[in-house]
Amino acid sequence: MKKRFGLLLAIIVALFMTVVPLSTQHAQAADNSLEKIQKKGVLVMGTSPDYPPYEFQATVNGKSTVVGMDVQIGKKVAKDLGVKLKIKSMSFDSLLVALQTGKIDMIISGMNPTPARRKNVAFTHVYYQGGYDIVINKADKAKYKNKDSFKGGTLGAQTGTTQYNAVKKQTKNTASKGMTSQSDLILALQSHKLDGVAMEKPSAEAYTSNNKNLAAIPSDFDMSSDATSSAIAFRKGSTSLVNKVNKTVDQIKKENLVKKQYLPAAGKYLKTNTVNTSMGHYWQAFATGVEYTLIITVCSVFFGFIIGILLALARTAKGNIFKTALRWVSTAYVEFIRGTPMMVQVMFVYFGLGLFVNLPALTSGIIAISLNSGAYVAEYIRGGINSVNIGQTEAARSLGMSNGATMRYVVLPQALKNIWPSLGNEFITLIKDSSIVSIIGVTELIYQSNIVRSDTYRGVAPIVVIMVLYFILTFTASRILNYFERKMQHD
Amino acid sequence: MTKPVIEVESLAKSFGDNKVLKDITEKVEPGQVIVVIGPSGGGKSTFIRCLNLLETPTAGKVAFEGQDLTTLDQKSVNKLREKMGMVFQGFNLFPNMTVLENIKLAPMKVKSVDDAAATKRAHELLKRVGLDDHADSFPSSLSGGQAQRVAIARALAMDPKVMLFDEPTSALDPEMVGEVLNIMQELAKDGMTMVVVTHEMGFAKEVADRIWFMADGYIQENNTPDQFFAHPETDRAKDFLSKILM
Ligand SMILES: Nc1ncnc2c1ncn2[C@@H]1O[C@H](COP(=O)(O)OP(=O)(O)OP(=O)(O)O)[C@@H](O)[C@H]1O
Ligand SMILES: [Mg+2]
Repeated sequence: MKKRFGLLLAIIVALFMTVVPLSTQHAQAADNSLEKIQKKGVLVMGTSPDYPPYEFQATVNGKSTVVGMDVQIGKKVAKDLGVKLKIKSMSFDSLLVALQTGKIDMIISGMNPTPARRKNVAFTHVYYQGGYDIVINKADKAKYKNKDSFKGGTLGAQTGTTQYNAVKKQTKNTASKGMTSQSDLILALQSHKLDGVAMEKPSAEAYTSNNKNLAAIPSDFDMSSDATSSAIAFRKGSTSLVNKVNKTVDQIKKENLVKKQYLPAAGKYLKTNTVNTSMGHYWQAFATGVEYTLIITVCSVFFGFIIGILLALARTAKGNIFKTALRWVSTAYVEFIRGTPMMVQVMFVYFGLGLFVNLPALTSGIIAISLNSGAYVAEYIRGGINSVNIGQTEAARSLGMSNGATMRYVVLPQALKNIWPSLGNEFITLIKDSSIVSIIGVTELIYQSNIVRSDTYRGVAPIVVIMVLYFILTFTASRILNYFERKMQHD
Repeated sequence: MTKPVIEVESLAKSFGDNKVLKDITEKVEPGQVIVVIGPSGGGKSTFIRCLNLLETPTAGKVAFEGQDLTTLDQKSVNKLREKMGMVFQGFNLFPNMTVLENIKLAPMKVKSVDDAAATKRAHELLKRVGLDDHADSFPSSLSGGQAQRVAIARALAMDPKVMLFDEPTSALDPEMVGEVLNIMQELAKDGMTMVVVTHEMGFAKEVADRIWFMADGYIQENNTPDQFFAHPETDRAKDFLSKILM
């Protein structure tokens, strides 16, 4: 069961501690949660589609779609509420914050209702009771029986999950290895870096049925039932909504819909996925990735550049108190941005600003990366301005040109020429760093490749594909930049 | 009586504790050519840069056509700077623009002259300094003498009332000094008011109306060239002349 409550999340939660309680308190004070959803007519479900057969991405009628047993459950819940279902994908780490900040209305993502989580969100009844298997290479089947057979070997599991803790705590003389993605773990298993991978039964079934060289054995972990169960999460205090949805959950359990309908349906998608796992078959997914990576990079470079120039000019402001304050603020901004990880900034914009305006993930990503890039570009430009001989400014001013005109027509053009290589570097760095927005579910290259990887159960091929794609992008970009650099030479 | 073009009163300028200009009171009349000479580090550059406020005086008054620059706001200072062309030791041409663009920039951006008129005027000025065939060259392809002539043309493009020169030939190879001095001499002949800081004593003798001898933060002597070079009054000036006239 996934149980990640990463450090990042903790940081974000801490950042909004002052704001979020207000909104949850509000919900507690007047519980109109059910009424609100029904009035809105749409139920937004957050999920992390890298976890077959719970939720994963499949190509349906030529379009990449989130499917899986959790999606079936989400559809049923929405239907029973009489509203439409909308699915929002994001990393598992982001789900809880997204729920608390109102980006989504509920989480169905194989999430188990641990006591820690119960403090922050409201859970429905358990809709599925799972368990753990260990996936091994079929060739080793004679060697391993359960968790205790791996003495001297290495067992892997997804970091932050319950099974990862179990591997660490409930085995003896066995090394444990955590990785963030299930597909990486399987890959490590196949290349014999791992001897076994602990995962949930449905996942294990999906892997073994799709890969003839793998086999599953029981794990025999000692687990409380709480840790192997999945439930739907809503915002704290949404009692009326939870009560209503509990009726649906109870019906699902009573009629055993998960085993009878949802899992087989999910399995069918897994089959269509694995019919053709050639990378060419997924060209559309990669094309989308390239498209979004380019959109993010180009927009961020553009806005980052404008922000950078404004900041650089603000940092040179001198004179009255207002200008001094401006200089001080812009300096502080640059230092702050350069002193905090871009990933946190991306989450801050998406979730933090999201409390006040509902920004789509792509917009948030572009805003965050532009703000970040602006700080770096400002430093380059400041350096560029300083690199222009003071005599240039004096000549322009002696001709009667204003400070602004001097900057615009004389200093900045020369500064830009001097720092062009650095700016180009920044552009190329952005092509690569834009991958950070994958954590908020923007479908750029990294995100798409992860999806292809979990779709196809092929670990390396998608990585090779995006390596080549990134290289083509950066190489083309550097050619274009060189062309302009040559054009700016006047010798 | 005509109004002085430039009037300096009790001008002082310090850089921290370094009192570079102590107390200067002088006038420049229309059409006059003033040559400022003096020992290195004596404050000549600082003085001439105070005239168009590239340096802000610490105390005193700098007036252009009766208006005290030190009391004006930035906009009015910009306005008055248009009327005071300046030529620097290091030319300071804009390397990212052609010769023609260097000359057209300020008229177009400051005076909103249209492109055709600015281009026409730039070609006239380039002909005047003998460089019209270099109109489309970039500054990096010019010799020092050519670059300084372009710089003069660029300053003239704003139709200034006075031209300030700060050692315009000091950075030039000796064989190029003449071409620049010739242009300056012609300017003087045409009646341009000029303040020239230079070490070219020949030019000073021939072209100057007055010599201002500057040392230790003061204008020590203000005299005609004939008087100054034949009969320097102060020991400071005698000493200076004995060193450079050897
Ligand atoms: N921006 C400045 N900051 C500090 N000190 C300065 C500055 N500009 C000039 N000075 C000082 O002022 C004094 C006079 O310098 P200035 O350049 O005016 O002399 P000068 O007569 O033009 O000399 P030269 O013949 O070498 O050009 C020198 O001691 C110099 O170090
Ligand atoms: Mg000097």
